[in-house]
Amino acid sequence: MNRSRVGVSKPALWRLVFVAFCLFVLSGLLISRLVVLQVIDRDRGVGFLQQQGALRSVRTAEIPAYRGLVTDRRGQPLAVSTPVVSIWANPQQLRDSADVVQLATTMGQTPEALAERINLYSDKQFMYLARHQTPNQARAILDLGIPGVRGEREYRRFYPAGEVVSQLVGLTNVDGEGIAGVELAYNEWLRGQTGKKRYLKDLHGDAIRNIGVIEQARSGKSLALSIDLRLQYLQHRVLQRAMVETGAAAGAAVTLDARTGEILAMTNHPVFNPNSREGFDYAATRNRVVTDVFEPGSTMKPLTLVAALESGEYTIESLIDTSPGRVRVGRKVLPDPRNYGEISVSRVIEKSSQVGVTKMAQQMGHEPILEVFQRFGLGEPSSIGFPGERSGVLPNRQRWSDIEKVTLAFGYGLTATPLQLAHAYAVFANEGSQVPLTLLKRTDGESLPTRQVISPEIAGQVLEVLNRVTGSEGTAQKARVEGFRVGGKTGTVHKVGDAGYLDDKYVALFVGVAPIEDPRFVTAVVVDQPKGDNYGGGAAAAPIYSAITDGVLRLHNALPAESHEARQLVGLGGGA
Amino acid sequence: MTLRVLPACLLAAALCSALAVVYSSHVVRELYSKQQSVEYQQWALQEDYSRLLLEHSTLASPHRIISIAQDDLAMQPPQLSVHRLVQFQGGQQR
Repeated sequence: MNRSRVGVSKPALWRLVFVAFCLFVLSGLLISRLVVLQVIDRDRGVGFLQQQGALRSVRTAEIPAYRGLVTDRRGQPLAVSTPVVSIWANPQQLRDSADVVQLATTMGQTPEALAERINLYSDKQFMYLARHQTPNQARAILDLGIPGVRGEREYRRFYPAGEVVSQLVGLTNVDGEGIAGVELAYNEWLRGQTGKKRYLKDLHGDAIRNIGVIEQARSGKSLALSIDLRLQYLQHRVLQRAMVETGAAAGAAVTLDARTGEILAMTNHPVFNPNSREGFDYAATRNRVVTDVFEPGSTMKPLTLVAALESGEYTIESLIDTSPGRVRVGRKVLPDPRNYGEISVSRVIEKSSQVGVTKMAQQMGHEPILEVFQRFGLGEPSSIGFPGERSGVLPNRQRWSDIEKVTLAFGYGLTATPLQLAHAYAVFANEGSQVPLTLLKRTDGESLPTRQVISPEIAGQVLEVLNRVTGSEGTAQKARVEGFRVGGKTGTVHKVGDAGYLDDKYVALFVGVAPIEDPRFVTAVVVDQPKGDNYGGGAAAAPIYSAITDGVLRLHNALPAESHEARQLVGLGGGA
Repeated sequence: MTLRVLPACLLAAALCSALAVVYSSHVVRELYSKQQSVEYQQWALQEDYSRLLLEHSTLASPHRIISIAQDDLAMQPPQLSVHRLVQFQGGQQR
């Protein structure tokens, strides 16, 4: 004790210096560590800590994007997105809550059912309670203020025209992505871009502060289809009524504007309601106009006529001897309903004489006929890019038996969709040239990539023959439209079953052009398995064509045949 | 003299900056709540708009128009015999 008190100055100073040095070194170490964490190795230092913090409090949320409107050519909405609210909950918070009873009654469920559902998700942090509630319904639930129950804004798709355009417009799934029809084909255009925003959350997961928008939501663009809803509705009504009258299993109809290639209406039977998924029949979502192929039968005879006229060996008035009303090809006998005797080529088409066409085909061979079919666009997909579209098949074989060469001329041995048939006939309505099809409205003055398929003269002659088919000697008198001259061709095809062609099941077809003086509108009608005696194209399909075309001509203010004649008499010419 | 003024200046600057932080966070909060209400408004307007679109297309649906025209007003499509075509001056007719 004494010693220390005596020698206080020297060792004490030394110790002080030592301690001060140690402290200095320690603080130096701390500072250097701080520099390492904050400046040199940021990834494992400050960056790591910030990231850990953010993981616990910063969340990103999606900003829903508005899906574009689908309208018809006149701006009538066909598909509309409306804001809805989806209610979700954190099951962990809700599990033992007394509010479940109140929540269930507000949602219109029994408390037991809701509790059971919550139990199902008891190890999760998220569950949907109710998706796509109208804003008013959602407000009622959210205003209860139950902890752990939250709303999320979304959009839901409505289809104001319902079943009338159901297969064409298609569907979106619950997340707003197109899954069928136009909704799928133009999904990228309609969809828009979902945005992202960042926010801070508290312990309960409630957003307490927005940090900022990372990506703005971009609305989808709207799409104007070439469809005319008035016409679509009319076609739909006519087709549905005819389906009931003929007892057919299915049907399809399509109307084109031959000059612009626009599809004006496209309907199918059976139909479905796109606004409700209850009792949803998947087969009814098929747009048969583009997805179903069949043998076109006699509707191909006008194309055979084109081959005949182009060969130079026939005019429409050349005579062909069809007696005795049947012809033998190989082992098969092809009959006409009765012996027509010696008739003109035009009359062969009017009467749809198998014997006449067979003789023409035997004379020409199958190559020119096949070449004409190809030129008219059969066997190729159209340009509309519709999901599930099929292109049909043109036979492409090395060896042709005699019967195959002949049956090709009247439309067996190849397949086509109703849309392809209508597009082929559009050649006759557009002075021999073909415009690519489109489902979108064309702008005025748009230059159209037309393709001359046949000469205008031949197109005019075929048109004249098609008009005679609806005349007093023809097979399609029921296709006539009062006050107008129309033309077209019937077809009645045996359906194909497991054991070849079925004797008692038919497909009835009609493809027509109107009006003859100023041809523009092409309509194809297909009736699958009409029941009873009126199964033929002239009996089952032609009346549908007539009713549709009557509406088409009225809606487009077409000039009646009478006034065409009157105008020609006073020398005004035809073109209006 | 400078030794006394400098700390005072720094203190004042620090105070100013602190007050500026308070002010700017207030502005942020204000703008944020404004953005929220505008967003809500947008949502409500969109809701109205699409509801009106749907109502409009329901009222203007061909189905409804036909039933009103035929059933309530007893209208019918005109017969061809009563059609009258009007010639325009230029001779162009549609």
